[in-house]
Parts: sequence; C-alpha cells; structure tokens
Amino acid sequence: MSERLERLINLTATLLATRRPLTLEELADRLEPGYPGELAARRRQFERDKETLRELGVPITVEAVDALGGEQGYRIHPDDYYLPDPGLDPAERAALHLAVTAVEVGGFDPLDALRKLGGAEGEGAGQAVASFELTPHLGDCFDAVTRRSELGFSYRGDDRRLEPYGILHRFGHWYVVGRDVDRDAPRAFRVDRLDGPPEVGPPGTFAVPAGIEPTDFLSSDPLTYGDDQPIRARVLVDSARASLVTGSLGDEAVVEHRDDGAVVVALDVVNRDAFRAFVLDLLDHAEVLDPPELRAEIVDWLDALAADGGAA
Amino acid sequence: MSPRPLAGPRLARVLAIVPFVLAHPGITIAELAARFRVSPREIEQDLELLPMCGLPPYTADRLIDVWVDDEGAVDIRLAEYFERPLRLTPAEGVALVAASRALLAVPGADAASPLATAVEKLEAVVGVSGRLAIDVGDAAHLTVIRDAIERHERVEIDYYSYARDEMTTRRIDPARAFHALGAWYLDAYCHRAEGDRLFRVDRVQAVRATGETFTPRAPAVAGEEAADSALTGLVYHPRPGDRRVTLRLAPTAAWVADELPLDDRDDEADGSVRVVLAVSEDAFLERLLLRLGREAEVLDPPEAVDVRTAAAVRLLRRYRPAADAAAPRS
Repeated sequence: MSERLERLINLTATLLATRRPLTLEELADRLEPGYPGELAARRRQFERDKETLRELGVPITVEAVDALGGEQGYRIHPDDYYLPDPGLDPAERAALHLAVTAVEVGGFDPLDALRKLGGAEGEGAGQAVASFELTPHLGDCFDAVTRRSELGFSYRGDDRRLEPYGILHRFGHWYVVGRDVDRDAPRAFRVDRLDGPPEVGPPGTFAVPAGIEPTDFLSSDPLTYGDDQPIRARVLVDSARASLVTGSLGDEAVVEHRDDGAVVVALDVVNRDAFRAFVLDLLDHAEVLDPPELRAEIVDWLDALAADGGAA
Repeated sequence: MSPRPLAGPRLARVLAIVPFVLAHPGITIAELAARFRVSPREIEQDLELLPMCGLPPYTADRLIDVWVDDEGAVDIRLAEYFERPLRLTPAEGVALVAASRALLAVPGADAASPLATAVEKLEAVVGVSGRLAIDVGDAAHLTVIRDAIERHERVEIDYYSYARDEMTTRRIDPARAFHALGAWYLDAYCHRAEGDRLFRVDRVQAVRATGETFTPRAPAVAGEEAADSALTGLVYHPRPGDRRVTLRLAPTAAWVADELPLDDRDDEADGSVRVVLAVSEDAFLERLLLRLGREAEVLDPPEAVDVRTAAAVRLLRRYRPAADAAAPRS
C-alpha cells in the first residue's frame, strides 16, 4: 500500500515538474518505487496508476514527445493542475463548511473539496436543511459550462447540440440550459433524461450573451413551461380547493371570487399536457370554463376514458 | 489475499495537506488534524511518508524535507511543485456551488453573508460565475412554520392530504423543516395521528397559534443521519396490505415510470414499460389513471379500470350537468 502511494506521489511530482512529456520508458527508468521490468506488467501497472490519478481529477495529458509525432509521452501542465487561490478568509471557509453540512448533496463527501480549499473551518451544521441528488452526467454538463464547450447528447431519442449557458435546479430536477444549436432557440433539458453520457466539445467555442440567467430558461411555474402557442384559460375551482390553488398559483391568478367560496383562476397555457394534468389533479373540484378549445380537449379526454368501462 | 486499502483517498489528502503546510509553515499537527478532519496520528503517518518522496534521482536534494519540532510544528521544503492544491473536480465544483447557492436561496437567508462572498469567489475560480442557479422554492407558510420550530410552539394547521384528496385540521409539534426532491417538508409530531408525520409545507393551508409550547423530545439526530432518515420518510413505502396495480405505459408515457415508487418494472422492446405499483388510496389511483389517460393500459386488476371509468364519469358531470354523461357500457 504505502509503496504504491509513494509511487503515485512521485509520479504526480515528476509529471508536474517536467517541462517536456516523458515516455513510459523514461518514467519506468527514473521512478521509485519502480515499475515491473517485464513490459506487459509495467504497462498494466502504469495504466492502473494513471487511472487512479485521473479518478482524483489529476489532469495527465498525452502528447507526442517530438515534432515527428512518433512516440507518446505524459505530463501534467501545472496550470491545469493548480487550483487558483480563491482568497477565502476564515469566515468564508466556515460558511462553506456550514453550507456543505446544511445541504446534503447525495453521494458526495464534501471533505476532499473542503481540504483543497484549506480545510474544514468552524463547526458545520448539526442538521441538514436541504438535500439534493447528484444526477449522472451532471458533472459533464457542469464541466462544459465552465469550459464553454458545446454539448452533444441524445435526449429521449433525439440528437441535440447545445451551447450550455448554465445549470439550474428547479422542481427537484437538474436542468442544463442554453442555446439549442440546430433550432437556434433557448432550451432547457432535464439532465436525468439524457439518454447517455454527453459529448463535451472543445473549450471556448461560444460566449454566453450578457445578462442571461439560468432561471430565464425555465419558468418557476411548470404550467408555463412549454412550446405550445399561449392560450388564456379560465378554470373554476370550488371552495374546497380554492385556497390550495390560489396558494400555488398566487392571488394574482384569481379573476373572480364567487359567493359560494369558489374562485375562477386565469392561466396562460403553453403546455397542454401540464394544463390537463393540473385540471385533472383537482378531480371534480375544477372545471375548465374557456376557451372552448381547451374545454373540449378535457371533455374528449374524459369521454374516451368513460367509454372504456368494463373493456378488458 | 485481503483487499488492499485504496490509495486514492489518502493520496487526495496528502496532495491537499502539502500545499497547506507550504503556505502555513509552523502549523502544528493538532491544527492540521482539526482542519483536515483526521486524527493527529493519521497526519503523522502522512508526514512520515513524504521524506520517501520527491523527484528522480531521489538524492537528498531531490527528496521532500519534513521537519516536526517538539511542539508539533511542521515545516516542509523541496516540494515547490506541490505549491497549490489540485483543482476541484467538476463533481466537487457543482456540489460545493450547489450547496452554497441552495442555502442562500432558503427564504430568509442573508444575501450579504460570508457564504455569499465565498460562493462568488469559488464560482470565479471554477469559471461559473452566475451560471448555476438553485431554486428551492418557497411555500406560503414556510416562514411561520420555521419560526414555530425555532420557538417550540405547538400550532394548529389545516392540511391537504394529496393521497386522500382530503382537508384535515391537526395540532402539531413542528420539529424541523427541510427541502428535498423539489419541495419543503415538515417533520412534526401530530396529535391527531398520535405519531410523527411528514407534511408537505406547500399543502399546509393555514397555520394558527395555540398559545402552547412543547418540549422537544429526543435530541435531533445529528447531520447525515438526520438527513438520511428524513429522506427515507419521503419515499413511499408500500405496506403489505396495499393493492397492487399493473399498468403498461405507452412509450410516450414511459418517463412516468421514473417518477413513481414501483414494486416492479419491465421495459419492453417497443419502448413501453410494464410497471407494478402499490396503491394505498383510491384518490391517488384515480388521479394517476385520469392523467395518464389512454397512454396507460390497465393490466390488473380489472377493477382498476372501473375506478378510472367512474372517475371520468364523475368529472364529466361538471361539464354536462343536464345531459347524461357518457355512461359506462357493460
């Protein structure tokens, strides 16, 4: 164990200190504790070490050792490795420690990150006030945002290219937002619905337009998140569910208070599916008043289900 | 052969400790242990390793020099190549920034706190200034409830139970509020249920003071464990007596399978998904089937189709009060 650890430290030091790429042969000749003499075993052991370092995020590059491009060598560019000093003061370090203990990020142990920033200052929080899951591929998306690299991925079967402007967590889900290159339009994609790992393109290929916030891409109300032509709808909600609905839509959505305690709310519908789900979720406590088109859609939907009775 | 301890975690620690000592010569082993959250013995072991390390050809002038004096003050030389810690990985960056942004988004958070300046500095270093946003939402009665928790005040709430589609009034002793899975939850002792219950804060319709206070019972479980148990409570745990319903979801509705607590799931070749889920309340099943419509085929039990039909007929009465709503054909 400690022999391998020593070699990993020495390998990191050597690759950081070198001014030119070193071949495996050169590394094997110089490093202590050494690599096996036998070629295949040496290669295997080196690959294992390289993998361990890459898992920690050590940026090892593979480069041609000379202009002819024949042999491959390895090195670590200090600028890729060194964390720039963020200049945190003790109060800020303590605040970060508090944040990562008060907010649980699923499957993530914040200690390694805190150590890189100078350790865990202060006491941390006794109780979590929030928790998040880290979705697979979120790291790749975040990486692409930091590098301004185009992302390519398959999303529910469609191939997409995105200039990722930012990451947004809303409604309990992670979204990567930006400009859909093929549609030349702003789009938000749920990261957990990517069909597989995204391809991260070369860095610095686009600029984020000034004044654009990740929250611009996704309304805070799911009912208003969609591509349908907006239609203004009025929905009657009876007294039993009036406070529930005004609580979630806000008082400004109410266009009429009736004597029996019922309310009429107005919504701009841009997502027919979300609107239908919203109305049906209220069961017989709600009724779409107009426009006739949306009212008919709900009636048709219910008619189809009512006609299903008893069918096997 | 016994499994070898992983070199990675310890390497990560060493690569963080060395730059810190280089920048803070004379720091003691005790201070390092507190800061890096390991025992003093582990710090010593890490330091003992370093004099074996350095650059080829590993002569005295190329090996890392470590001095520890009688008071435990540490000094490291000849390790300039480790002058800075390793960059944050993307996962570390997103987790740190997200945790900080989330805490700052909690209603009532101080926007001018050290956390606000810390996260700005961090974002600048990672290259994501203003590019990551966390919305933890708000709920009408969240602040009142958080105040009641703080002051151990017993309150009466009007609460809407989604699963049962019913409104209830309960007296509760609120213990803690937290955000998870996109919503605010309240952990409280409910006098009506005579037990601990988890409430969705956005379904609390009213909060009334009772003038009573309560003594918090067992001290809260600390940190991670508390969050774990809280999260466990959020996920619906089917009881043995719950009805099981089997549905086939059309490919266009297959994503619903990811949102439901399932007993079983079977992805079919055409993209549709066969799911088995436990259902404890009729209102929940009604709404699920109404929302899915014909994108869900009810495979079992046959009565579940009747639940859907009856619900559709009932809702249609709102739209055709005078005429006969389409009656189920037998």
